[in-house]
Amino acid sequence: MDNSGKEKEAMQLIAEADKKVKSSGSFLGGMFGGNHKVEDACEMYARAANMFKMAKNWSAAGNAFCQAARLHMQMQNKLDSATSFVDAGNAYKKADPHEAINCLNAAIDIYTDMGRFTIAAKHHMTIAEIYESELVDIEKAIAHYEQAADYYKGEESNSSANKCLLKVGSYSAQLEQYPKAVEIFEQVASSTMDNPLLKYNAKEYFWKAALCHFIVDELNAKLAVEKYEGMFPAFSDSRECKLLKKLLEAHEEQNSEAFTEAVKEFDSISRLDQWQTTMLLRIKKTIQGDSGDLK
Amino acid sequence: MSAYPKSHNPFAADDDEEENTGPSRGFNFDDDPEESSLSPAERRQKQLQREVTHTAQSAVDSSYRSLAHIYESEKVGTETAEELIRQGEALNRTERMIDNMEQDMRTSQRHINSIKSVWGGVVNYFKAKPEARPPQKDEPVSYDGSSSLQNALSESRRHEAKYQASHPNLRKMDTSGFGASASLDNEPSDQNGYPRNKQLRTAHQQLDQNLDEMSLGLRRLKSLGQGLQSEIDNQDVSLDRLLNKVDSMDGKISSTDRQLKNLK
Repeated sequence: MDNSGKEKEAMQLIAEADKKVKSSGSFLGGMFGGNHKVEDACEMYARAANMFKMAKNWSAAGNAFCQAARLHMQMQNKLDSATSFVDAGNAYKKADPHEAINCLNAAIDIYTDMGRFTIAAKHHMTIAEIYESELVDIEKAIAHYEQAADYYKGEESNSSANKCLLKVGSYSAQLEQYPKAVEIFEQVASSTMDNPLLKYNAKEYFWKAALCHFIVDELNAKLAVEKYEGMFPAFSDSRECKLLKKLLEAHEEQNSEAFTEAVKEFDSISRLDQWQTTMLLRIKKTIQGDSGDLK
Repeated sequence: MSAYPKSHNPFAADDDEEENTGPSRGFNFDDDPEESSLSPAERRQKQLQREVTHTAQSAVDSSYRSLAHIYESEKVGTETAEELIRQGEALNRTERMIDNMEQDMRTSQRHINSIKSVWGGVVNYFKAKPEARPPQKDEPVSYDGSSSLQNALSESRRHEAKYQASHPNLRKMDTSGFGASASLDNEPSDQNGYPRNKQLRTAHQQLDQNLDEMSLGLRRLKSLGQGLQSEIDNQDVSLDRLLNKVDSMDGKISSTDRQLKNLK
């Protein structure tokens, strides 16, 4: 696979395509089937972009795809334009995350315009993932996940919506936006607890919601646990619920050793993940920082 | 199984602060003043008691490990379930879209017919108009797994009690737990029996508790597994349906393509 040769070929194609576009712009070109020229140019841009991809020149590939997309827009081929923007976004993902997000946003606009919300939601999720991993901008990631969840809800894809909502919830809790997190977790938990296949995870969501309540206020947490037990009887059998009760007790007595003990015991059977550990640490700090001021 | 390191001898005197004075002394009981006063039979008994405790302890540890595994499996199962349901929704969406495409194809076929020839247009007039099907905005097919799942749940609950009573191991465990301590209740136990029995008793109680939790967990895993299976079966059926629809769609598209080329 002579990839460097591909790159040269790709450059040539781009030059040719540029010429075609220019020529179609002129009056004469426009008269004699300018559209054909533009279409050909589009195709050439796409081929060039693919060759750049083979040569691993991601930004050039993204660039070429973007050009193709704009030409498609000119010709009112919305769908093709959107797909080219998405291809551009994928290529840019490996090189320039900001450009990628721009392209994906453009694609999303086209899709929402056409009413294709599901696929728009999918791209929102992609953007959110880029913010999560490469740009580490949690706020924007949350915003995109929320948007994606709303679109999925609109299209009755509840599972996908829940998946996005859960991410929103965990990140909000990380950013200390507890009331929002609690609401989200409760919502997801109550919607899953009736589904015979999903109810096994409902206890996990109740547990997370209770943790967020706990950080805010111990009394809240107690009331919340009782409420959840009423809503979802299986919750009381779960080990998470038992752990919660032990933690509440330890917190009341301001006994941070009992707290740690209980957490360690739970951890010895099922590992606690990063998010849960962070939350528990925050709760533990409130025990030690608390000057005995309980209710 | 033989040479047990003579560590913390739980069967020694009540307040036994006996240090583990050395590594495995084997059966050299002569060093131990207390033991040397016992008859060989009693020595043997002590050895057996030690073995029993050791086994009980390792059983408890193993049950903890099993419990951990069960919970882990449950976690994997629930995540799989969520993915599966998401996939099911996607399949549903795809099917709806294919149905819409079919509708559109029929419309375009009519158009092509009328373009091709006047006669075609007349035929069209007489052909039944493709009823504009209401855009299938279906109620969320709330993936209720299937009714078989519900039945399985109630069935397993009914049999649960019978199962536990009949399972030989469970019964043996119960009696052996306290039976063992009962048999140890005679002879040397009279001197220092209480702590020993208590120890065994706690070990066995812990074990029973863990086993109960394990059985609950396994029950949940079973119904989860059954639910997953019925969901997969349903999706299998709909995948086949989808495959057929897409194949026929493929054919229609290529024939429409050909017709369009000929029109040119």
